[in-house]
Amino acid sequence: MNTKIKVLREAINLIKDGMTIAIGGNVLHRAPMAFIREIVRSNKRNLRIVKTAGGHDIDLLCGGSCVDTVDAGFVSYETEYGLANYYRKAVENGKVKANEHACYTVICALRAAKAGIGFMPVRGLKSSELIKENEYFRVMTDPFTGKNITVVKSIVPDIAIIHVHECDADGNAAIYGPRFDDELISLASKKVILTTEKIVSKGRFSRQPQNVTIPGFLVDTIVIAKKGAAPCSCPTLYDIDNKILKDFTQDRSQEMIKSYLSYYENQDNYKGVGVNTFVF
Amino acid sequence: MYSSFKAEKEHHPADFMVCTIARMLKNGERIFHGVSSQLPMVAMKLAKALYAPEAVLLNIPGGISSKAYRVSDYSSAGEELWENSDGIFPLEKVFDLSMRGGLDVAFLSGVQFDVKGNVNASVIGSYNKPKVRLPGGAGSAVLIPTVKKAIIWRTKHDKRTFVEDVDFITTRGNIYKIVTPLCVFGYKNERLYLEAISPYTTIEEVKSRTGFEILKTNVPTLDEPSKEELRILRRIDSKGVRYKEFGN
Repeated sequence: MNTKIKVLREAINLIKDGMTIAIGGNVLHRAPMAFIREIVRSNKRNLRIVKTAGGHDIDLLCGGSCVDTVDAGFVSYETEYGLANYYRKAVENGKVKANEHACYTVICALRAAKAGIGFMPVRGLKSSELIKENEYFRVMTDPFTGKNITVVKSIVPDIAIIHVHECDADGNAAIYGPRFDDELISLASKKVILTTEKIVSKGRFSRQPQNVTIPGFLVDTIVIAKKGAAPCSCPTLYDIDNKILKDFTQDRSQEMIKSYLSYYENQDNYKGVGVNTFVF
Repeated sequence: MYSSFKAEKEHHPADFMVCTIARMLKNGERIFHGVSSQLPMVAMKLAKALYAPEAVLLNIPGGISSKAYRVSDYSSAGEELWENSDGIFPLEKVFDLSMRGGLDVAFLSGVQFDVKGNVNASVIGSYNKPKVRLPGGAGSAVLIPTVKKAIIWRTKHDKRTFVEDVDFITTRGNIYKIVTPLCVFGYKNERLYLEAISPYTTIEEVKSRTGFEILKTNVPTLDEPSKEELRILRRIDSKGVRYKEFGN
């Protein structure tokens, strides 16, 4: 039987160098960190990363030299942990191209993608030098009113990576607490990889289908990742790991990346789960 | 750092800023704060408790007017803002609301501001070869032009922050107020002007720490935080997250 459930080391093969990757969650909340770490361990290169507001995820990917371009409205930790220094240095050294958006223009670019069109008008973006510096913004004439309107080019991610609280073996997935832009990125992307805190039995959602945030037919691959958002939070289940984030953000070395990755090695490659360990 | 701040006698500049901001918010307004916005998050809760009981408080995770007294000590986009709320209205919908003219107040920040009302949250240096890559303007570039009142807060007030010309225009214009530890700026005829100063500073200090010329100097002094405001603050922000941006 074909199963969507894969171990992390197998699922990572879906990620090819140069792909456009949309990441779920928001800044320090529900980022799919177990999968992000595996991207770094597997030395993926030249990825284009898409997220409205990223933090630790984009910082780590830049620290691991996996990134070519970042399309985001905001990349930083929150006040407590300061700037995303691996990202910052990579942009300042010219290794990573920062495509700055307003968070809303990322949303609009993904809305264009989910509707299968090439661009989306964005009211509001009108007095910004972001328009002239970036080729993905254009000003055109509204054909109905004759007025100027800024448009943003669609972004079609090859893969969305989203961390969820639970899903069944088909990938019908529930996110409890804030969903951020995860439904949107699941609709805009060509493929969806879920990392999940746990697998629930089929039929779990049938009495309350409204709890399904992402329907299984959009999901290609499922990875069981217990505490898969750590050291970021997974709202309703666990909070951030303050010590790890403090240590990580106070260092800017490659040694830190290495020791951070090895710290999570066992947890990420969760051995209790495999294709054959579950009977559905 | 703040020469005029004498901890024994005066209130912390964060208390002054939070109370000043809270007094600007009106009953019934729809008010949004984003990420890394702990100081306005607390000011919104204070306003709701004291001055604007029917204000609609909006945020990134989407809980409307959360009544939870728990505030996160590291985030202004966490689940605490989802709990005990009146409903769910997440970021995407807040942006759309502002675009169609339905958002009253948004809190935004930046790293440089100039007298023409330009805001820079993007880079120091040039956009494509930056000396410093900043986090980015988040929602500023679309919210400042569309929200009815854009309130900017900045805990640093010095000549590197308030400059003659910003390095990069992330967004511009339509600024309602800029609140700093020293003063409040207003914006009229495409120019920032000094509107009022903190009770803990002088015009001379504001001038000496602002990189553009301040023309109007006969301005009122703002009130100190009241006992009532401080009492409510102790309840809604017992951990003191409003001080985080000051590094203490």
